[in-house]
Amino acid sequence: MFRLFPFLLLLSTEALADERTFWRQAREGVEGYSAVVGVETNKLIQATGSQWLYIRNELIAGTGAWVLALTVFALACFYLIRGKVCLTEPRSGEMIERWNKKERWLHFYTATLFIILAITGLSLLFGRSLIIDWVGHEAFANYAEYAKIIHNYAGPLFSVGLVLMGLIWFEDNKFRKIDGLWFRQLGGFIGNKHPSAGRMNGGEKAWFWLLMTAGFLVTVTGLNLDFPNLEQYRLVMQISHIIHSVAALLLIVGALAHIYIGTIGTEGALEGMITGKVDKTWAKQHHDLWLETLEKQSSTTCGERKHTTESISQNKSETLLKKS
Amino acid sequence: MARMKFICDDDRCIECDACITACKNENEVPWGVNRRRVVTLNDGKADETSISVACMHCSDAPCAQVCPVNCFYTTEDGVVLHDKDLCIGCGYCFYACPFGAPQFPQDGAFGNRGKMDKCTFCAGGPEEDFSEAEFEKYGRNRLAEGKLPLCAEMCSTKALLAGDGDVISKLFSQRAVERQLNQEESDNSASGPKLWGWKTAYKE
Amino acid sequence: MKLIKRSTSVDNKSKNKLNRRTFLKHSSLAAGGVALSGSLSFALMEKAEATEAEAQKTADIKRIRSVCTHCAVGCGVIAEVENGVWTGQEPAFDHPFNLGAHCAKGAAVREHGHGERRLKYPMKRIDGKWKRIDWQQAIDEIGDKILAIREQSGPDSVYWLGSSKHNNEQSYLFRKFAAFWGSNNIDHQARICHSTTVAGVANTWGYGAMTNSFNDIHNSKAILIIGGNPAEAHPVSMQHIFKAKESGAPLIVIDPRFTRTAAHATQHIRLRPGTDVPLIWGMLWHIFENGWEDKQFIQQRVYGMEAIRKEVSEWTPDKVEHVTGVPEAEVFRATKTMATHRPGTFIWCMGGTQHTIGNNNTRAYCIFQLALGNMGIAGGGTNIFRGHDNVQGATDLGPNAHTLPAYYGLTEAAWKHWARVWDIDYNWLSKRFDTALYDDGAGGKKRTMNMSGIPVSRWIDGVLEKPELIAQNDNIHAMVFWGHAPNSQTRSPEMKQAMDKLDLLVVIDPYPTNSAVLNDRPDNTYLLPACTQFETYGSLTSSNRSLQWRDQVIEPLFESRPDHQILYQFAEKLGFAEPMFKHIRVENEIPSIEDITQEFNHGAWTIGYTGQSVERIKKHQQNWHTFNTTTLKAEGGPCDGEYFGLPWPCWGTPEQKHPGTPVLYDTSKPVAEGGLTFRARFGIEHDGVSLLADGSYSKGSEIKQGYPEFSADLLKQLGWWDDLTPAEKQLAEGKNWKTDLSGGIQRVAIKHGCAPFGNAKARCIVWQFPDPVPIHREPLYSNRRDMVKKFPTYKDRKSFYRLPTRYASIQHVDYSQDYPLTMTSGRLVEYEGGGEETRSNPWLAELQQHMFVEIHPADANNAGVKHGEQVWVEGPESGRIKVMAFVTERVGRGLVFMPFHFAGHYEGQNLADRYPEGTVPYVLGESCNTVFTYGYDAVTAMQETKVSLCRLRKA
Repeated sequence: MFRLFPFLLLLSTEALADERTFWRQAREGVEGYSAVVGVETNKLIQATGSQWLYIRNELIAGTGAWVLALTVFALACFYLIRGKVCLTEPRSGEMIERWNKKERWLHFYTATLFIILAITGLSLLFGRSLIIDWVGHEAFANYAEYAKIIHNYAGPLFSVGLVLMGLIWFEDNKFRKIDGLWFRQLGGFIGNKHPSAGRMNGGEKAWFWLLMTAGFLVTVTGLNLDFPNLEQYRLVMQISHIIHSVAALLLIVGALAHIYIGTIGTEGALEGMITGKVDKTWAKQHHDLWLETLEKQSSTTCGERKHTTESISQNKSETLLKKS
Repeated sequence: MARMKFICDDDRCIECDACITACKNENEVPWGVNRRRVVTLNDGKADETSISVACMHCSDAPCAQVCPVNCFYTTEDGVVLHDKDLCIGCGYCFYACPFGAPQFPQDGAFGNRGKMDKCTFCAGGPEEDFSEAEFEKYGRNRLAEGKLPLCAEMCSTKALLAGDGDVISKLFSQRAVERQLNQEESDNSASGPKLWGWKTAYKE
Repeated sequence: MKLIKRSTSVDNKSKNKLNRRTFLKHSSLAAGGVALSGSLSFALMEKAEATEAEAQKTADIKRIRSVCTHCAVGCGVIAEVENGVWTGQEPAFDHPFNLGAHCAKGAAVREHGHGERRLKYPMKRIDGKWKRIDWQQAIDEIGDKILAIREQSGPDSVYWLGSSKHNNEQSYLFRKFAAFWGSNNIDHQARICHSTTVAGVANTWGYGAMTNSFNDIHNSKAILIIGGNPAEAHPVSMQHIFKAKESGAPLIVIDPRFTRTAAHATQHIRLRPGTDVPLIWGMLWHIFENGWEDKQFIQQRVYGMEAIRKEVSEWTPDKVEHVTGVPEAEVFRATKTMATHRPGTFIWCMGGTQHTIGNNNTRAYCIFQLALGNMGIAGGGTNIFRGHDNVQGATDLGPNAHTLPAYYGLTEAAWKHWARVWDIDYNWLSKRFDTALYDDGAGGKKRTMNMSGIPVSRWIDGVLEKPELIAQNDNIHAMVFWGHAPNSQTRSPEMKQAMDKLDLLVVIDPYPTNSAVLNDRPDNTYLLPACTQFETYGSLTSSNRSLQWRDQVIEPLFESRPDHQILYQFAEKLGFAEPMFKHIRVENEIPSIEDITQEFNHGAWTIGYTGQSVERIKKHQQNWHTFNTTTLKAEGGPCDGEYFGLPWPCWGTPEQKHPGTPVLYDTSKPVAEGGLTFRARFGIEHDGVSLLADGSYSKGSEIKQGYPEFSADLLKQLGWWDDLTPAEKQLAEGKNWKTDLSGGIQRVAIKHGCAPFGNAKARCIVWQFPDPVPIHREPLYSNRRDMVKKFPTYKDRKSFYRLPTRYASIQHVDYSQDYPLTMTSGRLVEYEGGGEETRSNPWLAELQQHMFVEIHPADANNAGVKHGEQVWVEGPESGRIKVMAFVTERVGRGLVFMPFHFAGHYEGQNLADRYPEGTVPYVLGESCNTVFTYGYDAVTAMQETKVSLCRLRKA
């Protein structure tokens, strides 16, 4: 073969497999010298880009589309089969504060950014195949440009929300033995009895920890992708992008479920997050242990509240476990 | 049908960087944007080899495949071009391209890289031929003038070839064959055991 | 909001376009040059037929033919100009030298049409601040100061430092200007680039220039490059070198660095810097040992080879290896390659010339070629690649401290010749000079008029030396830097002192240059904006002696003016414009370029600058395409039979239609068709042995033997006197071929098949030189003390080019412990010379943003520096610079390399704020010459920039 760089290289990389060291080095991305200043300008070939392209276009976009579609489909089915989880007892009229103001602000701050990021992010992943034909090329490009800008600025803001959530809700979301029971009963889906739960039930904790872990990955990779001026190598960006996409898709799947449960899936959940207060009945049905703690705690001093809550729910949960 | 290609003859490339400045000259690309560059591997060592590289106008261009807004198109001459009005500057083409061809004019904090810029094979862009808008966004449209890219036309040693892939690859292979024959002949009479050139590369 | 303005979709749009480009599918896009010479052709892509759209577009575009201003290859440039703006640059495919090709610099010359960082107005420094002034004020103030200095210290206290960037006319005018001013204190860059070549080569066989041409390398069967890196310094020449190489010619590169050129070589030889003579003698040892020398050639055309044989016999292979560091087998291999591949060409550049024994080196190279019989033959020759675009022309015609235009020297006869050409009274001219007598350095006393001036390499000493030790009335008090970058000269710390000491410093240049910022002068400093060669027109001489015509591309930018206009203004101010421009028309202060060409045509007989009239050069410029790209001979067309650019010598008058001499000393052609013999320059006998050729003569010569140079007397002896016309006889009476203004003597000699300058042998012994037979001497700063003992340098000299000059007293001191590393310098492809122009060109500057030093990994480890870190390079004369470490095996262990194009930093200090506003080049850096040291060639005062010592310290 002639060293028809890179004309033949493009036609057939295989044919060049036996070529001399130079081409091996070139394909391996060995660094050389270039008068042109910049990131990796001294590499002739960056070979992993094609793998990244395959992973993004085929695996992530392909699989991701199915996963998202299936999630929506599953939630729809669930709704049709199970319907809304209503309060089993009439409302007591007695309202208990479940989410204080800070928590609610933080929730909606993060949630809004999440939705924006999800929509703009998904637009970049699927817009080309879904939206262009629908709205036209220029209109989509216009939209996509803003989508990109919004995504790039919203991302760091979102990560701030994520960090605060982690700090505020970390204690409440520590897994305890009782959560095992909750999971075994799939949060009440199996059996007729609603499983016991503290301030956060097993599902909420799972969602919290998904947010924390996948969210961490999305944040770190996202910030990395957001600042190419830090002169990262392309391989770093490709890997970041893959992790970012996969983690983001997981979060979106989780978020869809979360939103479902928090809105049409469960009576009284959304009002709790909007007003901060839930009916005592609701509390008893969904977070019985938390309610008990609150009630016992009214006799203790404020300063010891937290500690007491925990020890009580701990005792209670152990009792429950023994029973089951 | 013509398919425009570049070939760089590494036996002749001396890293004089004329291709780079010719491109700057012709397309008035700003400081920091280099549509073409020369890469030297084994710099300063016995196997030192330089190659001039830019957009290779791939038949199945990865940049075009990955672009979220589908702003790339391939002309009938096989030149891969893109529409800067559509480009959102996401940088995906840069991650996908094996040759590092896509360039961005801005520093990139918060992903603000500006519109992607790359070698157009001196074929302008989607604007009207020879319009000011075309020049400002894409540079010169030499192809429409019946000329080939200036980098290749000005290559100091004629190492960089540009043109219809069939024509230039034939030209190059002819060059290589003749080079080999002549060097073999010379080998037989020369005192040196090794002529560093195409032949050694080929037989290695 | 994004504007959406396209009505049609992308696809439709592109299809519309494609229809207009359908021609591309057909043969027109094919590689046009292929048909010319098969697969080895260079010409690759020719312009296809223009489309309609193109035709419309080009209606208002003027295409102007010029020549690149960056090196002496002389690449053709096609500039496209619209409404006076330089809008495009097209490859000059038709041009016989470059066939459309350019290097980074050539491909970026259009930036000259922008000139963003140019010096825009005349400027004056007042209390350390730059202030804009107008031209008249500048000329008046400078002129008054200069006249005052003349009054007080004499004409030699003003130094006129010219340039290789002048065109021929400006160079010539510059030399004439200095003559009318009354001083030989005038010089230009050739002194520090190829002066040792010119001296060494001219003293071997007659002319000091490239003997063949870049294109002629096609004919070479072997190529040897020593001390040259054409891949960076003359990239387009590599096109021709590759053509030969790909036809089977081995390429041998001898250089202490593994250069970009060496990367393409068949054999690379890494020699210890400064050991060229031992290496060449080592090669000759094998040649003599094996009987490979061309015995017939030597017998017929070479004088003194026996003396060489004797010297060479000492250089046995083991000794050569010991001194040069090159393994015996490598030397043998290279020698055998050269011996078995004839004709071979021998190429050298600064690596050979910039040494205290530079003239020995260049003569050794010549002798090597003589031994192999490679001279005077297509494919052979000494192909000396010159640096600046017009350094050859400037050397031939212009600002030189040691000679008048066309190498006439400085004798009374020479002055009288030019006085006659200039049509002025010799006595008046003579009185312009200092009339006192001074030590001429050779045991006699002379007037400064007849004594070489201070060379550019030494102007510093002209300022700083004690006046009683200088062979002129007083120190230099005023420096006029007219197109010169001082950072290309060594010893910056002393240069800074010298600049500070001057009474007046004037910079005339398109850019402020390092001269504007290196000094601490508060006032009496002026910057005058000169324009580039693209803003004026005229002829230039490329390395291969071809003259080319540049047309004016654009009007001078800003307030810049062409050099010849500024010269006129100064001549007027200084009071000698009238006699100086007696036969040169001046309109609006601008002297006629054509009249100047005609004037030197009228006087430069020695080197045949007489046949190249303006009309002939322009005709060649308009008919690039008619010249063969190997022979350079026009095939048909209006220049049929002539060689491109009428390479000098182009004998006789233009009317005699000599075609130019493509290959010097080529006896296979009649002189009338470009043939030649070796010049009879050194008398007819030496030590009782004839110096005339023995049985060798150019084709068609009526004298079948050697003969001396032609004169009126010789014509009479030969019975050819009556071949002259009566008019010719009148002018030729009592004259010789060099001084006969009618050209008749040359015409008649050529008519009889003879070379006007005689037919002699080349000489291997230059008895007037310090080393008649080239020998090795260690550099002044050498860390090989054992070698210094064996091969010591010269004794110090009391007066050399008017100045005391040190050799042994410097070499005597052992610096090898404190400064263990050998240091050398060279070029980068992106920059030229001092680099101010190219570092101000953003297209180039972006590619080399940092001054650096190449260090071998072992030395870097020893110094504790890593690639990319800052490092202090410190020299034995106190200079030190802070630069970036570039760790590479390109340099051998113990050697560091630095490029010399940077300036604007000085010993760690950034001088950017000293530039006039808006003129700071895009890239600044330390000048390597801040560290480079004392050392001057014993014949030409060339500076020693290829070997010195240094040490590294982590910054």
